[in-house]
Amino acid sequence: MIRRKRSRHVALVLAGAATLALAGCREEQVDAQSFPDLDSCIAASKDASLWFTEDDCRKNFAAAQKEFEETAPRYASKELCEAEHGAGNCGGDQTAQQSGGGFSFMPLLMGYMMGSMLSRGGGIFSQPMVRTADGRYATPKGDQSFATNRGAGKVPSQTFQRAPTTLGKPPMTAADVRQRGGFGAARTNAGAGRSFGG
Amino acid sequence: MEKRILPERPGWRDEAEKLGFTFADMGGEPYWDETSAYRFTLHQIEADIEGPSQELHQMCREAVGRALTDEEWLDRLAIPPEHRDFVAASWAQGEPELYGRFDLAYDGKGPAKLLEYNADTPTSLYESASFQWLWFEEQQALGVLGEDTDQFNSIHEALVTRFAEICAPGEEVHFAADAENPEDYATVEALAWAAREAGLGAHFTDLAQIGLTDEGQFADDQSRVIGTLFKLYPWEDMLRDDFAAHLQPSGTRFIEPPWKAILSNKGILPLLWEMFPGHPNLLPAFFLADLGDALTGGRPAARIASAWDAAQGQLAQGYVTKPIFSREGAGVTLFEGGHTTAATGDESYSHHPLILQAMAKLPEFDGFHPVVGSWMVGETCCGIGLREDRARITHNLSRFKPHYIEG
Repeated sequence: MIRRKRSRHVALVLAGAATLALAGCREEQVDAQSFPDLDSCIAASKDASLWFTEDDCRKNFAAAQKEFEETAPRYASKELCEAEHGAGNCGGDQTAQQSGGGFSFMPLLMGYMMGSMLSRGGGIFSQPMVRTADGRYATPKGDQSFATNRGAGKVPSQTFQRAPTTLGKPPMTAADVRQRGGFGAARTNAGAGRSFGG
Repeated sequence: MEKRILPERPGWRDEAEKLGFTFADMGGEPYWDETSAYRFTLHQIEADIEGPSQELHQMCREAVGRALTDEEWLDRLAIPPEHRDFVAASWAQGEPELYGRFDLAYDGKGPAKLLEYNADTPTSLYESASFQWLWFEEQQALGVLGEDTDQFNSIHEALVTRFAEICAPGEEVHFAADAENPEDYATVEALAWAAREAGLGAHFTDLAQIGLTDEGQFADDQSRVIGTLFKLYPWEDMLRDDFAAHLQPSGTRFIEPPWKAILSNKGILPLLWEMFPGHPNLLPAFFLADLGDALTGGRPAARIASAWDAAQGQLAQGYVTKPIFSREGAGVTLFEGGHTTAATGDESYSHHPLILQAMAKLPEFDGFHPVVGSWMVGETCCGIGLREDRARITHNLSRFKPHYIEG
């Protein structure tokens, strides 16, 4: 038997760029609940039908506090911080002051969100929450924001991915905030062509 | 190799539309054209295309190693000096390549000749790997093609295997392209499906929306940090963009790896000819800057003098000039008998250094000139896709033709 030289199957469907997402690439949704503080989590955990216990509240609040200190964005000035997180929502960086690494400003911890990865063989994970400039609540990575810091629902599992650490890094300068469009100038092409492939 | 008139599949245009293959017609002309197909023998595929492509790829890898140890070659290839360490490090660390496409002149008889290597941003992947495959399976089911026919096209399966080889299980890969260009997007989407099948996370981001985070990492259009970036965007432009200085510090893993900047450059053709003079799958090639007035009877630079003399027989058939950077035939000019006999009229890239390459006569079938695109995945040749045109310079509207193996 001569070796077959073609695939046994291929991917045939093009979902198209209009959706700006690859079909089938939707993030897995997981159960999540957020709390402004530890006490409200403990109060909620009394309801035995939920997926977390008082012990989960305590452990995950501690983890969120630690992660907040390590990954919350740090800013060179209070004005810069408030521009990102809203007036009155920023404070000094305790960690940096203790370590003598200069001063910087960071948003206040406004609560935490817990998520259940039990369905995918994981445990319970948490993320700290900070305010956004438009009055919402977001994880330190800033890619997931929510209207409130109390409530339950389904969120993408990647909400619980850890943000890159900011601890000990120099505070951001204004130029570092949201710089986009640095790719695509196609400087070797003096014409008006659009395609980058060939 | 021959061109056979075949009945078109009933309703294929509706099917193309349903599948999202929206550019089957472009500019009022057919792009996907199945009114006929090219037939090859298994021997032609294996001995003349598959084997030589793999050998050419190994020669290209050698040429990368050679260029990276020679500042003079890096100058000739216009690799920006500030990024040479970045390019060299990716090679030294053995960062694996994903894919590429050789464009070959082949008439079914003599050895296939390398016209150029699209080693960085080759497109027409969906047409080659998927729609061409569907055409074959359906034509065989309809009885138009016999039971003992086949197609040289394991591109999709090879990509799945390759992604699994070169990425960690579950690795999140961002795929960036120009969101407004459906042809580019189709290639990226075909790759992303293969990545997902390999168990990776695949996410699309518009190239122009990529941002830089406070940490100096790249982030997608939704501000998610990019760990691994497949970019359908040439390295020669990446290295000259506003974000160029952030490429190395970002810690991003790039696919294709940065060393493909050496290969996605027509300057590789003179380097290959210098390293492998007289190789049956290569055409004599030189930098125009080395020729001096050699084209008008003078002497070229000493470094190429003997190679130039040896190539006179082939060059007398005609030659081509093209810029080291260019896309889709832009800036390509054909000279025969001392006169320009064909040009594309697109001078978008013509300010770059030019190379001169001996002309490979493209075969002619019913007034069309086919070019064989042979697909490399990793270091393996795994399929072909043909483009044909009435003109002798293939460009972005040249028709895609299906092929099959019989005999």
